[in-house]
Amino acid sequence: MLNSISLGFLVLALLTCGSALFMLVTRNLLHAALAMFLCMLGLAGLYVLAYADVMAVSHLLIYVGGVLILILFGIMMTQTPVKEGESVNHLWAEQSGRFWPLSMGLSIFMGLFWVLGHGNWSNEIAQTDSKIVQTGVAFLTEYSFPFELTGVFLLIALVGATFIAKNHG
Amino acid sequence: MDNIPLIFFLWVGAFLFATGFAMMVMKRNTIFVLMGIELMLNAANLNLVAFSRSDDQNQGMMMGLFVLVVGVCEMAIALAVIIQVYRQFKGIDIDQFSSRN
Repeated sequence: MLNSISLGFLVLALLTCGSALFMLVTRNLLHAALAMFLCMLGLAGLYVLAYADVMAVSHLLIYVGGVLILILFGIMMTQTPVKEGESVNHLWAEQSGRFWPLSMGLSIFMGLFWVLGHGNWSNEIAQTDSKIVQTGVAFLTEYSFPFELTGVFLLIALVGATFIAKNHG
Repeated sequence: MDNIPLIFFLWVGAFLFATGFAMMVMKRNTIFVLMGIELMLNAANLNLVAFSRSDDQNQGMMMGLFVLVVGVCEMAIALAVIIQVYRQFKGIDIDQFSSRN
């Protein structure tokens, strides 16, 4: 019943969900960044189990190598003394408590769980070998325009981020 | 049972989305809110990849790769804005942002 693939999925899903939950309950930003690293690691493993190896590798490269370092820089550049007992924003919850955000998150999860559980999903696998060649060919033929557009978009966004973060004073 | 049923991926994605949403509306620190948004984005991406499993042209995975790049752009811009906001308001708590000084 529980073969190695199922066991691997279970471990990776528990790693992902557990570290996401830890990010939710912790108050320490650095602990949350570490938990986000574990969460991204688990997600990359889940991508491998969904037969998307290119996605897993690029996810690891981009999130662990790029976004997480960026977040760590952001944390270090905006360090403020943590005030205990106040970790709730009033963006949605006027009561300044944790009840409404948590119950809304829980109800979203229960609703999605129920709705998705009633779907009649197809479990067939189209292709179980590596998708590197197919992805590369698709990037340069079928998706060449979005590919170029994404490159220009990335350039614009990074130049804009550098300009915004500049000290204008 | 050699392959994982699709519904398990969808459930993990739903859990990540709900956790990210709760983080987004509960936390006070802007970087926490940003991490919550990132979790929601990754939940959507996991769904794309999981559905692309039964597609012989991999359209979901290609879409997911583009979503990854757009997420990086969002993160870079948002952290730059956070750094500017920190210079302006001397803090990054959401409650203290107000232009009525």
